[in-house]
Amino acid sequence: MRARDEEHKRRQDGSNGPIMAGLEAASVNERTGRSASHTPWQDGERRGVSSLAVKLAKYTAVGGITVRNHVAYIYDFLLRSLFLLVILYVFLQLWTVTFEGEGTSRIAGYRFDQIIWYLIFAEAIIMASPRLSLKVEEEVKKGDIGYQLTRPMSYLLFHYSAYMGEAAVRLVVNLAVGGALGLFVFGVPDWGFGWVGYLVMAAGAFTVNFLITMMIALCSFWIEETWGIEFVYNKLLFTVGGMMLPLETFPETLQKVCAWLPFQTVVYFPSKMAVQFDALLIGKFFVIQWIWIALLSLLLALLYRKGVKKLNVNGG
Amino acid sequence: MSAIRVQGLTKSFTMKHKQPGLSGSIKGLFKPVVSEKVAVQPIDFTVEQGEVLAFLGPNGAGKSTTIKMLTGILHPSGGEADVLGYTPWRDRQRLAFHVGSVFGQKSQLWYHLPPVDTFELMGRIYEVPMNDFRKRRDDLVERFELGNYLHTPVRKLSLGERMRCEIAAALLHRPQIVFLDEPTIGLDVVVKAMIRDLIREMNREEGTTLFLTSHDAGDVEQLCKRVIVINHGQVILDDSVTNMKREYLTHKTIHLKLAVIPEQPLLLPGVEVVKQKGAGLKLSVNTVETSIETVLAYIVQNYRLEDVTIEDPSMEEVITHIYAKAGKEQGHESSG
Amino acid sequence: MSTAAKHLSFVFACWKMNLAGAMEFRMSFWLQVVTMMVNNAVWIFFWGVYFNRFPLVNGWQMQDVMMMWAVSAAGFGFSAVLFGNAYSLANIVATGQLDTYLAQPKPVLLHVLVSRMSVSAIGDILFGLILFVLFGDLSWLGIVKFAVALCLATMIFTYFTVLTQSLAFYIGNAEGLGHQFFITFLTFATYPTDIFRGIGRMVLFTVIPAGFISYLPLGLLREMQTPFLLATVVAVTVLAVCATWSFSRGLKRYGSGNMMTVRM
Repeated sequence: MRARDEEHKRRQDGSNGPIMAGLEAASVNERTGRSASHTPWQDGERRGVSSLAVKLAKYTAVGGITVRNHVAYIYDFLLRSLFLLVILYVFLQLWTVTFEGEGTSRIAGYRFDQIIWYLIFAEAIIMASPRLSLKVEEEVKKGDIGYQLTRPMSYLLFHYSAYMGEAAVRLVVNLAVGGALGLFVFGVPDWGFGWVGYLVMAAGAFTVNFLITMMIALCSFWIEETWGIEFVYNKLLFTVGGMMLPLETFPETLQKVCAWLPFQTVVYFPSKMAVQFDALLIGKFFVIQWIWIALLSLLLALLYRKGVKKLNVNGG
Repeated sequence: MSAIRVQGLTKSFTMKHKQPGLSGSIKGLFKPVVSEKVAVQPIDFTVEQGEVLAFLGPNGAGKSTTIKMLTGILHPSGGEADVLGYTPWRDRQRLAFHVGSVFGQKSQLWYHLPPVDTFELMGRIYEVPMNDFRKRRDDLVERFELGNYLHTPVRKLSLGERMRCEIAAALLHRPQIVFLDEPTIGLDVVVKAMIRDLIREMNREEGTTLFLTSHDAGDVEQLCKRVIVINHGQVILDDSVTNMKREYLTHKTIHLKLAVIPEQPLLLPGVEVVKQKGAGLKLSVNTVETSIETVLAYIVQNYRLEDVTIEDPSMEEVITHIYAKAGKEQGHESSG
Repeated sequence: MSTAAKHLSFVFACWKMNLAGAMEFRMSFWLQVVTMMVNNAVWIFFWGVYFNRFPLVNGWQMQDVMMMWAVSAAGFGFSAVLFGNAYSLANIVATGQLDTYLAQPKPVLLHVLVSRMSVSAIGDILFGLILFVLFGDLSWLGIVKFAVALCLATMIFTYFTVLTQSLAFYIGNAEGLGHQFFITFLTFATYPTDIFRGIGRMVLFTVIPAGFISYLPLGLLREMQTPFLLATVVAVTVLAVCATWSFSRGLKRYGSGNMMTVRM
């Protein structure tokens, strides 16, 4: 009965079709904007000069159409974010009991309301992260990737735009739902520049998340199924990424290990900056995050080039 | 004795209409816009035991809905049905022991396991005693020539092989009635012929009543003696296949190849030029209005002929014709 | 053979076939099993870190929480392995896949439920058993008590899921809602019952009866609390009756995939 399982998986991944539609629309844009002949290209780089503005417009269009497409599914999103409320309710109870048991006003440097807001922000990011592995895996397996390569658009940048577009919509919905709960329980929070800190960090966080997820997805050039790896990666975000508990609550040795891993930049950095904004710390976080982005981008580009080369040799 | 008796059986579904946009979705949640869609209008028919009946109609005519009511899968909105003495939707489980079904597009076989495993499970589901089951299975395996892939996972079988296994699985419990929904869909000519042979043989040897739906005119022509045509949930024809062909064989097709491209158009009462390409013509002759002799004589007189063939219409055309006629009559009724 | 014996032999035949089917893809089989264990281990990490800092959660010790996970994970695991289709019932109803089962002479609900096995849930079972070996009471009485707890949990999971998924007979788009019910239930079943008070606690023993599962480590494994156990047995019975009733009532409304929504 595995066929059904697969069908199920595909259904969950309903965004695949619309993404293609997004590509369609975006490349129409390109065609009307520039009538230059389409040279075949293989490595994601367009030959010939195209102005930065046109390029930027192209990818914004991809992001934009993804946003519009997902707004159409807002009912499903709302339903899904109901679960966010359940989780937050459970943790609200858990931390109430824990703070009572401890009898202190702060645990690991966090006040009760801060720890709940931290959780709201962390969950919002995790639940907003689009799934890539099935989508990309299918494109690789069916050879669609070859077809996509004939379009005047970088494959990676295309997916990045779509990813960020989808993440943005989902993040807004999650924050609205989670934020409503936070406001209801704690009233208007007092974290000053926290909002700015969160948004700045979140942009980088989703970028890191995209880079890693995409690398995992591209592994389908070499191995049968990648969802297992993506799954484990997500669990790493839950734990050593600091989604369930802020890193400060970890035993000291574990904290030291986590500081050298990229996972903290996805969840812990933005959430921490939201509830405990610190102008000095955000600088440090920012630098660490972007070093990871640079490093991971390089790795991803290498991996992609290798994969495409394999595609060219084996013909998909 | 009749195997199936249907009186005033009818079924309608309620359909929800979704308004566009978010507000529409929310409105639909509280106050859905509902409309009734009649899938089967009250229909009557009887099928005798041992009969082979074709149940025809275009997509959405209500064929499957009727079959589903006759097997107890759906509860009707009204009317009566008697299948082997049972009311299907009330005695579904008891009836099921005597009925077999093959749905061309829904597999009963376990996809990742060899057919032999499904057969064994079917034996259990239909509570066939072990000894009988083995005898019956071996008999079917031999007749359907399944021996070679009995132990191959179903997913590795070709469509034709799979369909043979499907039919064998449906016959393990010696059903008295078999419902076949599109049994030859997607199969090639050779396999189709083989499946038809098997179905015919089963009817002859075991006296099984067969209730068949198909889009394939060949299935109807070669298997069935009687045909019921429904459209828009109504029975529009219930007759023997021979009668139907005679009644609707009012047209013959003539293919002409002339020596020169004709200068003036061919005008003759009862004759219609269906297609013309250079010197090649395809004519449709209404044999009620005129006779083939008249037409041929006229052509020989007026044109220089290279080649001519005369054809009976295919079953498909006959059926299309029936739909068209029924549609016209309905139109007249409603306008008059 | 009596009818019950026939049904039982049929159920076993289905389970055997499920397992055989799953084993066709050995690699994928183990991948799914292991991923599920990794998934659950995440929560053990969470509670590990938690109990490293705080000694108790409202009277619950580390051992109780681990037993709660053992019962919930293995209970769900058995439910999804033995009655795997319970969790996709709404989809089966909505897409008209019930036809095949309805055309065959076996109790429909039972037949549907046993016709599928969740492979990943085998990981849940293994996970639960490992936790029990590591943290549980391995005396004879302890093992019997754990087995009873698993039976109760399995039944509650199965019947609750059938009940919520049967919504598909009555409303459109019940798949999403059914899934939300399920994950909510699962979530509540995996946190100490005693962190909830007031209305929340009431919900746990009524609308979302996950409390009957999450309290088993205290109410049965740590010490036998007769009132709680009696209440659990009553709850299981009520759930069973409601689930089978709403399913068989729904069958009359079954539309065989014809109840589609038209987008205008």
